[in-house]
Amino acid sequence: MALISVALGRLSQSVLLLLAMSVIGFIGIHSIGNPVFNIVNIETATPDDIHRATVALGLDQPIWRQYVLFLDNVIQGNFGTSYIYHQPALALVMSKLPATLELACVAMLVAAPAGTGVGLLAGRRKGGLFDCAALRSSVFALSIPSFWLSMMLILLGAILTGWFPSGGRGATTSVLRLEWSVLTRDGLWHMILPALALAIPNIALIARLSRSGTIEVESLDFTRFCRAKGLSPRRILFRHTLPNISVPIMTIIGLQFGGMLAFAVVVESIFSWPGVGKLLIDSIQLLDRPVVMATLTFISVAFVALNAFVDLFHAVLDPRVRLAS
Amino acid sequence: MKAELLRVLNKRPPPRMLTPSMLLIATYILLALAAPVIAPQNPYDPLQIYAWEASSPPGTAGSGGFLYLLGTDGLGRDIVSCILYGLRISLVVSITSAAIAALIGLTAGVSAAYFGKWADVAIMRLVDLQLSLPTILVALIAIVTLGPGIDRIILALIIAQWATYARLARSVALSETRKSYMDAARLMRLPTSRILFRHLLPNSIAPAITLIPIEVGHAVALEATLSFLGLGVPIDKPSLGSTVANGFQYLLTGQYWISLFPGLALFGLIASINFVGEDVRRRLDPRSRSV
Repeated sequence: MALISVALGRLSQSVLLLLAMSVIGFIGIHSIGNPVFNIVNIETATPDDIHRATVALGLDQPIWRQYVLFLDNVIQGNFGTSYIYHQPALALVMSKLPATLELACVAMLVAAPAGTGVGLLAGRRKGGLFDCAALRSSVFALSIPSFWLSMMLILLGAILTGWFPSGGRGATTSVLRLEWSVLTRDGLWHMILPALALAIPNIALIARLSRSGTIEVESLDFTRFCRAKGLSPRRILFRHTLPNISVPIMTIIGLQFGGMLAFAVVVESIFSWPGVGKLLIDSIQLLDRPVVMATLTFISVAFVALNAFVDLFHAVLDPRVRLAS
Repeated sequence: MKAELLRVLNKRPPPRMLTPSMLLIATYILLALAAPVIAPQNPYDPLQIYAWEASSPPGTAGSGGFLYLLGTDGLGRDIVSCILYGLRISLVVSITSAAIAALIGLTAGVSAAYFGKWADVAIMRLVDLQLSLPTILVALIAIVTLGPGIDRIILALIIAQWATYARLARSVALSETRKSYMDAARLMRLPTSRILFRHLLPNSIAPAITLIPIEVGHAVALEATLSFLGLGVPIDKPSLGSTVANGFQYLLTGQYWISLFPGLALFGLIASINFVGEDVRRRLDPRSRSV
């Protein structure tokens, strides 16, 4: 029962959040200037043209009616038609989604075990040489701008050594009527550099979190008891410490997965990976407004949904969270 | 022996004022200030640029009577000068936006705590809304709505960053409002603005100050990322990020220096700000000391 109420509460909160965001976005766009001037040619249009365009676009209606109309369209998934590709904007975004998802999944599959492992080892001997090295390199890893990291990966991994391709998605196979790169050798080969670019900052982030968790858990009574019982340090670390720090790590993995959707914008446009992020940047540069709106809305909704899911998962794993609410 | 060595290494040295990172930041600021004097070329002045010397590798002698130490970019601009001038834009944008964001965020957070009720709810809902999205996404949405330009990018960074300060300032101010000096101020019937800005704000400011260096680092990275994506500063006045971006198309043909060196400068700047930021936070905020 408690779990259901948490779920319902979280759901209504997310819906409210999205509604608030759409209101702010809507007012923001309207406060910047009359959108009619994005449609008509300012130099050649007569006042009559502008008036007709205003009526045709529904811009003569009061702002709350425009908002209701906009909301109605969004709920039906109708963001309009792309000016460039002449396809429904949302369908276009969805068609690019598998590429982004598989890239983010591979990056997280690399980052989560690597980060947790480094954090555990560093936290076990706080202040040790490995710990100092890990802490220092984590600050460096978090400081590298992701676009420069991607470019340097291309320079090292593709141009100087020629080991990996510098961009593109490679061969794909069709499963469930969607194209996947991860299932072919060539596709996987194309994926290594962009996945690394997404993974490296996350390894550092997860490592820092699991390090501080390990330090906290290792100072608790039950680890001392385990040690007194004569368990090997390795067994304590993996059978007792790891499960106890796994909840915050799961949380950060969920949150960072959403962050990857946002950072994919940078990494995808550098590696010309045909995903949602590259679509966003291309559409911004081509002034393809419906696609920009659809993409930004989609990423925001995905992120908020992911957040809600992570919170729920947290409540399932940790009874304390369930009881507190 | 090893344990002995580790203990010596780990013993926290007496608080030094000058760490290598601070020295590096100071150097960066000095270089940015002195850019017009020490840069061999003004990369914004087309008359000083020789287009036929575009994409010269590092160490080429230029027609301007100086050596292209780090080479030239695709338009013939000297990379050293581009870095020096780009540094100015990056620093001005990030410091201005961090300072204004801190000011707005602190005021909003403290007001939320002081006025309570609907003001608190309204401000904090907005803050929660923003902090639930990644900063880069907020900045992207803001810049897409606002359009390109240096003033717009500063505004977008302020929008992306104020919420962090607001949340911290509110939590501190909440505990301050219950203290007796606040009761005294209210009983003396001081004007609200005086209570807010002369009593509550100065007493709740300390923890938020520790955020500033970290947020300046974020701002540098965000500005560079937006500029890289072509959404930031205009192309004829490149920041560090857009200089790196200009080099991207040449990277694939092996002209690595256009993006390597400005990127290295950017990385050094962000890393040293982050090191200092972490140091400041560890020293001033006892909660993060154990972590």
